[in-house]
Amino acid sequence: MSETFHEFVVQRSPALSRTAYLLTGDHQLAEDLLQSALARTYRHWRRVRDGDPEAYVRRAMYHQHVSWWRRRRVTERLEAAPVGPAGGDHSDATALRLSLDAALRRLTPRQRTVLVLRYYEDLTEAQVAEALGCSVGTVKRHGHDAVRRLRAIAPELVDRPSERSTR
Amino acid sequence: MTDRLRTALREAAADVPAYDVHGRAVAAARRTRRRSVSAALAVVALVALVPMGLRAGDPTPTVAAGTQGALPDRVAAPVLGALHATDRPRLGPASVVFSGQAPRMVWHEEGSRVVAVGADSDRYRTFTVGYEARTGEDVVLSPDGRLVAHGSGGPDRPQIAVIDLVRGRSRQLATGVPDSVASIPVAWSPDGSRLVVRDTVPIDEQVTGHRSVLSLLPVAGGPRVELTVGQRPDDFARAVAFSPDGRRLAYQVGDPAPLSPATDPEPGGGKLQVSDLDGEVVASFPLPSSTWLAGKGAWTPDGRWLTVVVRQGGSWRLRLVDPVNGREVHQLDAASGRETGPARLPAVSGVTAIRLLGWTDGGAAMVVGYRPHPSALAAFDGPLDMDQRTSYGNVGTVRVLALEPGSTAPRTLMTAPDEVVAVDVADDVVHTGRVRRASPPTGTGPRFWMWTGVAGLAVVALLGVAGRRWRRHRQGW
Repeated sequence: MSETFHEFVVQRSPALSRTAYLLTGDHQLAEDLLQSALARTYRHWRRVRDGDPEAYVRRAMYHQHVSWWRRRRVTERLEAAPVGPAGGDHSDATALRLSLDAALRRLTPRQRTVLVLRYYEDLTEAQVAEALGCSVGTVKRHGHDAVRRLRAIAPELVDRPSERSTR
Repeated sequence: MTDRLRTALREAAADVPAYDVHGRAVAAARRTRRRSVSAALAVVALVALVPMGLRAGDPTPTVAAGTQGALPDRVAAPVLGALHATDRPRLGPASVVFSGQAPRMVWHEEGSRVVAVGADSDRYRTFTVGYEARTGEDVVLSPDGRLVAHGSGGPDRPQIAVIDLVRGRSRQLATGVPDSVASIPVAWSPDGSRLVVRDTVPIDEQVTGHRSVLSLLPVAGGPRVELTVGQRPDDFARAVAFSPDGRRLAYQVGDPAPLSPATDPEPGGGKLQVSDLDGEVVASFPLPSSTWLAGKGAWTPDGRWLTVVVRQGGSWRLRLVDPVNGREVHQLDAASGRETGPARLPAVSGVTAIRLLGWTDGGAAMVVGYRPHPSALAAFDGPLDMDQRTSYGNVGTVRVLALEPGSTAPRTLMTAPDEVVAVDVADDVVHTGRVRRASPPTGTGPRFWMWTGVAGLAVVALLGVAGRRWRRHRQGW
């Protein structure tokens, strides 16, 4: 069992690590989150291995992430004022990256999770709802709130500068 | 609109290294698993230890089945959560059973929680009876203390419950008396193989009255032997005594009509009959007023005479009569010419009645003295049915007394708290006459702790489930 689990971890760690990072925005927290989700998966490996273990790990991460936030293990650093667009010293990609880091920190874990699932994992709303164990309406609400908030604090992430300037 | 967001997310993720958490994840999982197993083992250990602890707090029986025990010098009301008669660890033979309305001894409105005390230790067990049990009269302990019988079932299906205190089992017997509405055990045969049972049967369909049927019922099964039929349930065969060899039994057919209405209007007396095991009456004779068959120990140890109890004003004495004709017997010592036997035993006063349990090997009579209830209205030094003399309302408490030849006053062998109104003692204990210093259980009993433990575990489980649900709810989307 351990070998199979080990193979699974070796094969899927890169992708899972990326998701963990996007969910937390912090490498240390991302490691802890992935470790916790994998530990949970390991305990139920016999049951999980014949299904979709990666989906199980991701689901565990999503729920664990929200749970941590609730237990204040993750301090949300909500800034009072919206972060401005990236400065001119950075390339467009770097500017976007910095904006994303700052913006993600200002979303709630739920919003961030929906955002990651929808726009990084490219899941449909129904698939996100299934992954999170909630209704499609809930996914829509959190996704809508997340995008609206991003538009307020980092409009360059959701709107082209040219599009924004025409408004 | 979200293309840049997708791009930014992918670019942010592209630089993330693969976290090497496999070893730590496995270690964390094993740690959690160990904790879960430890917690489960702790719960199992707790569940297992509670009864073991209870057993540790319960004195180990020191008397093997069939051996002789001792009479405790006092009994007390059962503690809250006392073990039941069929609970483990088994009680083994009992020395005493008692009933009344002391705290925790009333069951439902009119029922009783009867207490059995171990033969040689203060281990208490209880069982419930659906009527105001008068132990010794309608709840009877077998001679060896292993079995106790009481009436059970309803009017539609009256039965006799026999509880085996050694094996912790209970079984039901039925007399099969047609139309019986109640079956009450009144005596055990000396070998414990037969019960004498009194059935109450309506005399007609309108139930304008009842008659009583006295039967001999094999405990192991088999047809009953009808002994006699009487007309008045209350006073009919309240006392039944087997001869020591178990081949004859005497019982009082309590005709309430006074023998000499003009001179002695007191009820009681009636007729005393002696039957063999086939139900054939071998002797029958009237008893004077204020005279009753003394109790289950009425036969003298040698089987020659029967003992009756006689009330003289407020004083009660034992007398010997010839089982053939009822003639009073005066035993004389051949050497001294002085009277021996019950005539020289001390009288008992200040009681509503006495009941003879039997004779010790030392020649003393062991009797139950019923002390009047402080609020009883009846006058016990005057005419009164025996049924009334041992009723709950009239008896305040009981004492087991020894009436020793040559002594001037009874010696108290066992005391009971107020509102313990009836007691029966195993014949084996009566015969030895041994009395031990008792230390009845105090505090709370094993069942209290068992149920407290179960309730505690249930609460923990419920809190666990509630907490889990709460956490899930909070994690909910």
